[in-house]
Amino acid sequence: MKRRFWLASYPKSGNTWFRMLVANLQSEHPVDINRLPPMPGIASLREPFDTLTLIASGLLTHEECDLLRPAAYRAMARFEEIDPVGLEDGIADVVLAKTHDAWTLTAGGEPLLGGAAAAAGAILIVRDPRDIVASLASHNGESLGRTIDFMGDRRASFCGRNDRQDPQLRQQLLGWSDFNASWLDQRDIPVHLVRYEEMQADAAGTLARALAFAGVAISMETAARAARFARFDSLKAQELKGGFAEAPRPHAGGNFFRSGIAGGWRDELAPGQAACLEAGHAAMMARLGYEPGEKTRKCA
Amino acid sequence: MGRMRSYRVSGLRVASDLVLPSLIPIGPLGAADVVVRESEVPEMLDGATRVGPRWQIGEGRFVIDLPGIIRMMMIDGRELLYRVADGADRREAAIFVTGTGFGILLHQRRTILLHASAVRVGDRAVLFCGPSGAGKSTIAASLCEAGHDLVADDFCAIDLPDMAVPMVHPDGRHLKLWEDATEGLSLVYRKGGAVRDAIRKFYVEPRTATGRALPIAAIYALREARPPWTPGIHVPNMVDAALIVRRNAYRPLLVRQMRQAPLYFEAAARLAGSIGVYSVARKLDFAGLPALIAALEAHWRSLGMLERAA
Repeated sequence: MKRRFWLASYPKSGNTWFRMLVANLQSEHPVDINRLPPMPGIASLREPFDTLTLIASGLLTHEECDLLRPAAYRAMARFEEIDPVGLEDGIADVVLAKTHDAWTLTAGGEPLLGGAAAAAGAILIVRDPRDIVASLASHNGESLGRTIDFMGDRRASFCGRNDRQDPQLRQQLLGWSDFNASWLDQRDIPVHLVRYEEMQADAAGTLARALAFAGVAISMETAARAARFARFDSLKAQELKGGFAEAPRPHAGGNFFRSGIAGGWRDELAPGQAACLEAGHAAMMARLGYEPGEKTRKCA
Repeated sequence: MGRMRSYRVSGLRVASDLVLPSLIPIGPLGAADVVVRESEVPEMLDGATRVGPRWQIGEGRFVIDLPGIIRMMMIDGRELLYRVADGADRREAAIFVTGTGFGILLHQRRTILLHASAVRVGDRAVLFCGPSGAGKSTIAASLCEAGHDLVADDFCAIDLPDMAVPMVHPDGRHLKLWEDATEGLSLVYRKGGAVRDAIRKFYVEPRTATGRALPIAAIYALREARPPWTPGIHVPNMVDAALIVRRNAYRPLLVRQMRQAPLYFEAAARLAGSIGVYSVARKLDFAGLPALIAALEAHWRSLGMLERAA
């Protein structure tokens, strides 16, 4: 039976890049960004939920969906036949399921993602929150200021509307600090922490260490080739040429792969904006090793 | 037991003590094919051979529980027993009886069931299948406004008579649309009651609906036009066409769990071989619907299903 791991991250923190690295481990050529295995590789997709529970998630409230989700994820770990075509994100006997859900408990007191019976562990990718702002603003089609508010809002979610069926199940993000704390502080499953900045400095080594945590040994040569195939500028070039199926639907016309630079926030955020973000997330930033800026003004 | 009402769905006569607003009401029945009635429903099925998240399969029995809403047991494709959860509204529970409940019951009857909406074109039916959110109901609603009868909104029970054209049975008389779709399609004036109080999804009365089975002319699989799919009607090869049919079984997991894969393999091959199966890629917005409807009608004229414009 395959072993499942969550590939967890706050949005715009390198999750898709990591998936591209893994996909390229098993390829002789750079993998098409539009051939990423779509399911059941994303936790919030409706189709696997509907398939396993036999209930149309669109007829349930977000809260009712949440009550059923733990059992659905445990069933995913048990049933090896969710998708008739058998496309899965992963490598060897490991399935990597992407999630932007914070580690929360349902109203019934169960971990939303099903606890230890649903996954053997999690790879948590974190990124300097100041670098997330502009990327997330572009993704959400929102201003930088509103995005900073969103990153500090414990009630923030993706796909949480009530007047329509959003394409995915609601994902409760919490704020950036609380999202990361939820994963780091839970004691149900082991977590391996990956920093986006380490992926940039040494993609091959970071990938190899993360997969070793999941029990998959890869050679440095293979890892280095995957890192070459999935260089950020190559992914961005692919998106410019042929689009990206997982990009946000049209609003601001922003691309999914935007800049991918560590420290780019210095050119993107006004000093006051950076100061506000740092003030709101000081403890978690310190915990994850992100130094506060020196010349930033006070948060107004 | 409450007063029994009579309905027709998927070619079956149904007697029910629960009001089932989406089904087609008919006059009193002599003998019903399916009886729906309130009853005790066990939490656990004795001798269950297959167990999923809150459902269990035993010999001729299927129990499924929706916490806080309803628990149902389907028996041999003939009986649907239900118990509405304490504090839940019977009216709220009906949509799960006519959706999941009948879906399972029809699988018990070994009916070929596709997750699709359908409308009438000329003297035949075209089906639109796809996962939840693909736009099945939205497109059916648009086509109803353009003058086509509604045949089905959620699932299509298919008959495959020997040496004859495959037929589809109606699944009800209502569309079920989200609030944004009733607005985007300017159908607010046809909006009926909410499917559930807590959900902004409504029963919508189509301009016209058909109550009888129709021969199937074409099956369209809906997908979002995102890379690498460009908007438009695509023609898959025969193998992919059969795969499209199998993947759009009402609940693919049931096909495997109830050991009906060979049945669906054969049905998919027959459908792919005898009628047109196409992929339709579209942007998930309302602005593009008129162009899509025009493209579909042009397609039907090219297939001889509609008279050509003079």
